[in-house]
Amino acid sequence: MSQQVWKLVIVAEEVLSKKLVKLIKSAGATGYTVNAAGGEGSRNVRSTGEPSVSHTLSNVKIEVLTGTRELADTITREIEAKFYADYSIITYIYPVEALRDHKF
Amino acid sequence: MAFISDFLPLFLEQVQSPTLGFLIGGIIVAALGSQLAIPDSIYKFISFFLLMKIGLTGGIAIRNSNPTEIFLPALAAVGLGIVIVFIARWTLGKLPGISVPDAVATGGLFGAVSGSTLAAVLPQLDSAKIPYEAWTAALYPFMDIPALVTAIVVASVYLSKKTGNTAEKVEVWPIIKESIQSSAVTSLLLGVALGILTKPEPVYESFFNPLFRGFLAVLMIIMGMEAAQRMNELRKVAQWFAIYAFISPIVHGFLAFGVGLIIHKITGFSIGGAVVLAVIAASSSDISGPPTLRAGIPSANPSAYIGASTAIGTPVAIAICIPLFIGIAEVMLGR
Repeated sequence: MSQQVWKLVIVAEEVLSKKLVKLIKSAGATGYTVNAAGGEGSRNVRSTGEPSVSHTLSNVKIEVLTGTRELADTITREIEAKFYADYSIITYIYPVEALRDHKF
Repeated sequence: MAFISDFLPLFLEQVQSPTLGFLIGGIIVAALGSQLAIPDSIYKFISFFLLMKIGLTGGIAIRNSNPTEIFLPALAAVGLGIVIVFIARWTLGKLPGISVPDAVATGGLFGAVSGSTLAAVLPQLDSAKIPYEAWTAALYPFMDIPALVTAIVVASVYLSKKTGNTAEKVEVWPIIKESIQSSAVTSLLLGVALGILTKPEPVYESFFNPLFRGFLAVLMIIMGMEAAQRMNELRKVAQWFAIYAFISPIVHGFLAFGVGLIIHKITGFSIGGAVVLAVIAASSSDISGPPTLRAGIPSANPSAYIGASTAIGTPVAIAICIPLFIGIAEVMLGR
């Protein structure tokens, strides 16, 4: 009863959280999951795992399941155009099996 | 010399206040790599609590006073918030190796106001028995919002000129809305509104007022730990930011104190009120300003402005500017 879908993962600055969610929904995704995330990346302007007073240096991890690869690519392209230049953000994708196939 | 010999003991007494002791304690334990961590949610609650109490005090004072008194100081706060950004644009922004958006964002943050610094100065004035209008705390948003708006507009104008892309206009209203919706300004304004419209004295006397100093001390530890941690960010950017962060709170404070004294001459605004205005100008935003600037000036490096503000600006405002201006006020009042 499972179905092959795509899982798009976006790790980004928390300040982008609302904008990313808006972008994901308007692209046509049916849902998403947000987690707080910490860590260190290649971009030297930020490196933190500990909670921060202003939340400007904290990260979120957003996961989106999409039924088609095209939808995931559309979302990625929009994120790339809008945010890659100025913000700490990475995106990656992998195929997963969704167990409630009728949802996608 | 008489001024200095009067001033020094008063200054030293201020430096030994609990506020400052807890701040330095926080810096030291974090610098020593202590595992001490105060949960984020506690921090959020404390900053809400302190600003709510300050707002209530201000609201109750406004209810019992002439609301037109606030007009001139509020106008001065708006002007100072804007001027501070331009000072950064034409001093810090002109230095070698400093990008204009970084300088303007830093100026915006230093023009904006720190809730923790504001919370620290009021009980110190009470302890020193220097009278001030309780509504002066309500000047916070009048300086905070214009500074952030000016910084974002100046940076956007600069960037659009540089890229030749004049099509994108800056929308001011969303920035103002975001500032008002920020947790710090909302807590303060809600407190002011409740103070004016309701009679919150029972909860004020039994809850907000007695716990204020204790929570403030905890907040100072958090700010100290945060300062030590943000030092690492600051090390990655040009040293000019550290120099600016050290000097500018004192310069902004004197500028605002001067303006406050002029208003004192015109309308009888108290010397204590001028101290509050000076400390508000000396403070740099650490809670609500950074996310607004991050979204408003994306190309500015957050390590530069947050490092400058949290690691150096706030400790200088609390540890140097508060005792400095209270000391000057005490001398002026002939203590």
